[in-house]
Amino acid sequence: MSAKTLQYEAEGAQILLRGIMDKSGQNLLACYQCRRCAAGCPVGEETGVTPDRLIRLILLGDREEALNNLLVWKCVACYTCGTRCPNNIQTARITETLKQIAKEEHLEPLRPRIADFHSAFMKAAGHMGRFNEIEGMGIYEVKTAVKELKKGNVGAVIEEMKNQAKLGMKMMKKKRMHFKVDKVKNRTEIKALYRKAKAEKGA
Amino acid sequence: MQLAYYPGCSLHASSELYDVQCKMVFGNLGIELKEIADWNCCGATAAAKTDDFLAIALPARNLGIADATGLSEIVIPCSSCYSRTLVSQQRLSCDPELKAAINAELGSKVEGAIKVSNILEVLKPRVASGEMAEKAKKKLEGLKPACYYGCLLTRFPCDVTVTDDVENPQGMEIICRSLGADPVDWSYKTDCCGASASVNDAEQSLLLMSRIMKDAEARGANCYVTTCPLCQFNVDAYQEQVAQKYGLEKRLPVYFITELIGIAMGFDAVGMQVDRHFVDAMGLLKELKLI
Repeated sequence: MSAKTLQYEAEGAQILLRGIMDKSGQNLLACYQCRRCAAGCPVGEETGVTPDRLIRLILLGDREEALNNLLVWKCVACYTCGTRCPNNIQTARITETLKQIAKEEHLEPLRPRIADFHSAFMKAAGHMGRFNEIEGMGIYEVKTAVKELKKGNVGAVIEEMKNQAKLGMKMMKKKRMHFKVDKVKNRTEIKALYRKAKAEKGA
Repeated sequence: MQLAYYPGCSLHASSELYDVQCKMVFGNLGIELKEIADWNCCGATAAAKTDDFLAIALPARNLGIADATGLSEIVIPCSSCYSRTLVSQQRLSCDPELKAAINAELGSKVEGAIKVSNILEVLKPRVASGEMAEKAKKKLEGLKPACYYGCLLTRFPCDVTVTDDVENPQGMEIICRSLGADPVDWSYKTDCCGASASVNDAEQSLLLMSRIMKDAEARGANCYVTTCPLCQFNVDAYQEQVAQKYGLEKRLPVYFITELIGIAMGFDAVGMQVDRHFVDAMGLLKELKLI
């Protein structure tokens, strides 16, 4: 959490709140800060910001903090918070929404690897219509390696390659690695859905 | 009887063994799994995290194909695929505008008629009816599984009918007990393994798994059993790493529920690809003289 003093500005706070409520379909105003969500959050200890705090940040109109906290990126979408919420607020939908806003506004994610993984997954799934593990992991690894190299982190790239090679070897040995490309025949439909998704965002 | 069947991408790749086992076990119970034609990836959690439209539209295409089969029920063994498909069907049932927008792009339109079932929903009634016992040739004596459900079988981002107790599901315990196994009572059965975090946020995922594994070990389990290919892969493939980092004494095999049922039914373990686990899964079965 930042140590800055937030200047509460009602109009801006309303715009942020309404936008997130519309997009996520969650009624954030129902939150009475009971913190049942925080008690059950499996990543709460590491993120600092728990689901209740995230809701508070949004209600207070702190756009920057709402988009730049570890919970948004490290949330594993286990849906424990929403399942236990007495007011039926699904906070995981809010972290999903904030990730999407960050992407649409081309903000640098606090955890680029997590964002890159999900983008790589969707790219691979859209390409063949089915997710091929080698293709998806390939796109992801190249993407993260390029970013690390740009920052001069050669060590991090080597470490990642070593770890993935080790896992790959284990998978080969146990016949869990598949080289056959699995694909949808009617990929025209998949492409049409991806195009429509893009158009929906533009709308 | 015939059920429509959606294997999903995992069951065509790293978790092919689960696909093989599902067909064997269901077949023996007199259920023919009819894989739906030309299915696509459901988008998994990645779609929900990146694109609300695709998160609904990708499973919707599969639902349209499934509706066109005319079958009344589709079984989806992967928890993530099951969750995304059920959520898509629910969302479309209350958003006709979105349904029309998606249907406009599809050859097989979504009607929303087919019942979307997880694997336990189909298997559990076969215990009550006695069919499971009738097909079981062996008692799984000595097997003490920690039944691991993970997140997506009982927790959803919207209101859908949950088919088991949300916080303390019992489906796998019921099946295991009916086969003579003795499942342990434990506290982490619905905790998250991190799913894709094992790739993109490894330290976090290892920590989450360490809590799960520590409890399973403390409760005296001698194996895990799960229905989710992501849970299975993580707890199996990363177990050695977690054990070394967090000081676990034992290494426990991570079975799919279909493996335990298949062993009880007398199927050949190698035929079911039980030898394709990262933590040896054959040894315990041999030790207990189950194979």
